[in-house]
Amino acid sequence: MPTGDYDSKPSWADQVEEEGIDAEPLSPQIRKPDPVSFVLDTPREVINGNIKTITEYKLNDDDKTVKIVRTFKIETVKASKVVAQRKNWKKFGNSEYDPPGPNVATTTVSDDVLMTFITNKEDLNNQEEEDPMNKLKGQKIVSCRICKGDHWTTRCPYKDTLGPMQKELAEQLGLSTGDKEKAPGAEPEPAQAPVSKTGKYVPPSLRDGGSRRGESMQPNRRADDNATIRVTNLSEDTRETDLQELFRPFGSISRIYLAKDKTTGQSKGFAFISFHRREDAARAIAGVSGFGYDHLILNVEWAKPSTN
Amino acid sequence: MRPILLQGHERSITQIKYNRDGDLLFTVAKDPVVNVWYSVNGERLGTYNGHTGAVWCVDVDWETRHVLSGSADNSCRLWDCETGKQLALLQTNSAVRTCGFDFGGNIIMFSTDKQMGYQCFVSFIDLRDPSQIEDNEPYMKIPCSESKITSAVWGPLGENIIAGHENGELNHYSAKSGEIVNSIKEHSKQINDIQTSRDMTMFVTASKDCTSKLFDSTSLEHQKTFRTERPVNSAAVSPIYDHVVLGGGQEAMDVTTTSTRIGKFEARFFHVAFEEEFGRVKGHFGPINSLAFHPDGKSYSSGGEDGYVRIHYFDPQYFDFEFES
Repeated sequence: MPTGDYDSKPSWADQVEEEGIDAEPLSPQIRKPDPVSFVLDTPREVINGNIKTITEYKLNDDDKTVKIVRTFKIETVKASKVVAQRKNWKKFGNSEYDPPGPNVATTTVSDDVLMTFITNKEDLNNQEEEDPMNKLKGQKIVSCRICKGDHWTTRCPYKDTLGPMQKELAEQLGLSTGDKEKAPGAEPEPAQAPVSKTGKYVPPSLRDGGSRRGESMQPNRRADDNATIRVTNLSEDTRETDLQELFRPFGSISRIYLAKDKTTGQSKGFAFISFHRREDAARAIAGVSGFGYDHLILNVEWAKPSTN
Repeated sequence: MRPILLQGHERSITQIKYNRDGDLLFTVAKDPVVNVWYSVNGERLGTYNGHTGAVWCVDVDWETRHVLSGSADNSCRLWDCETGKQLALLQTNSAVRTCGFDFGGNIIMFSTDKQMGYQCFVSFIDLRDPSQIEDNEPYMKIPCSESKITSAVWGPLGENIIAGHENGELNHYSAKSGEIVNSIKEHSKQINDIQTSRDMTMFVTASKDCTSKLFDSTSLEHQKTFRTERPVNSAAVSPIYDHVVLGGGQEAMDVTTTSTRIGKFEARFFHVAFEEEFGRVKGHFGPINSLAFHPDGKSYSSGGEDGYVRIHYFDPQYFDFEFES
């Protein structure tokens, strides 16, 4: 709907881009005033050849004067008599009190758009190009750095998810997962053995490891901290699921904490990710630090142990 | 090209139409105001205030004296184009979906929705006969029991009207006898829009079945098909080239769940003879609901679900462009 507050917030990257563009002379442009106080007067009109410039000063919401320069091109158009007559009709309805000329409230000039032409010629060229590409496919001239596929890294479908960076990590992972598999396999057997033999109820205090007192919570927590990494420079749109997707390849994650604004629910730009294993965390740091994610270069480091 | 953005509506645009000379552009939306703009610079000439519901359709007569609008407030209103005064109020039983003047501007046609227990009707009123307006008694009322009319225009020479139905059927209703003269079913889903070529020998339909088709207006013979992958909401024929422009996009109810990039909200230009797309223009961030070519063919306008109307003056590239098959 054409209300001012509808505009969804663009990504900061777009904002920077917009600020960098100089408005073309034949478009409405709004400029900040010099830090001198102006008298708010009636709009000034300067006609120079076929260019009309209207300058007005207005107070904005913060009571600051804003200079608005609008530039129009005056065109003389030959039209039929009726059309010319109609051009002189008085405005009515909701536009009754509008001054002559387009009202900024209802009429604005939008950004430049171009018609994108789709020609058959291009299609044909594409087909021709595709054929030699097919031939070369087997030879694999291009290798993606992320997934090792035969396409450019920038075209990698996993570019944003980083998914198959695991391939690179596969060798390392292969070792660690092998360890993992062995470790739990070896342990439970002796533990289960006595239970199955007797078939009797064994109070927890008498069970294997019962002699060790309730130490399970505290140290684990600390171990968790040891395998926690801090990710900073995240974009505002980041969600927990994104992080999960991003870090899962490195190992099992025990906890993800994404700092969010209480009111807006938007990300504050940093997150803590706790892995079950410190090695996984180390790999994640090596793998993701400096990784471009949603226009931003991520910074990943060890989380400092919390003070409390 | 730098489109001129018209922000006169608070809700989604339902129809836009140029007058015969192309100097004025009439726009209606799902809010109660009818807007009229100078097409040359986008200046708003005025509004026709009076409706109390969504306005579905608008039409202007050949000489740009009268404006007709049909609304969901169960009324069809006739306005004086120059002053914005309401000249006649025609009450109906259900929402008015389509309306139109014949060539002379004396006979008007409007169709009402099948709604609230009422049938879909096409009504004809002769404006020269004041009693018809006062008594709200059309000289002819054709019931359409099967499927409601979703779009309709006057056919050539004012002999009949071409009506598109919700089930994809196209019918020729005689303006004299009210009989169905000709009937075809080329579309499988609702026909959202019908627009004639400038000489009225052909017309182009826009349907929810993702196609737009070109027909001969007298024989209703199917000529060409333009395929897209999204429902087509509106289609217009260029008055100077063998081009049609199609507007649409995914259904409004699905828009919030997908990004604008994959929504396919562009206006798409097709070559009539080759039935192939040759150009696209982006801009709207919702589906396009209505399109219209300026009668001189040098500009076109589009109104979208986003509530904006955009007037586009073609770049020289468009005129230099030659279709190579």
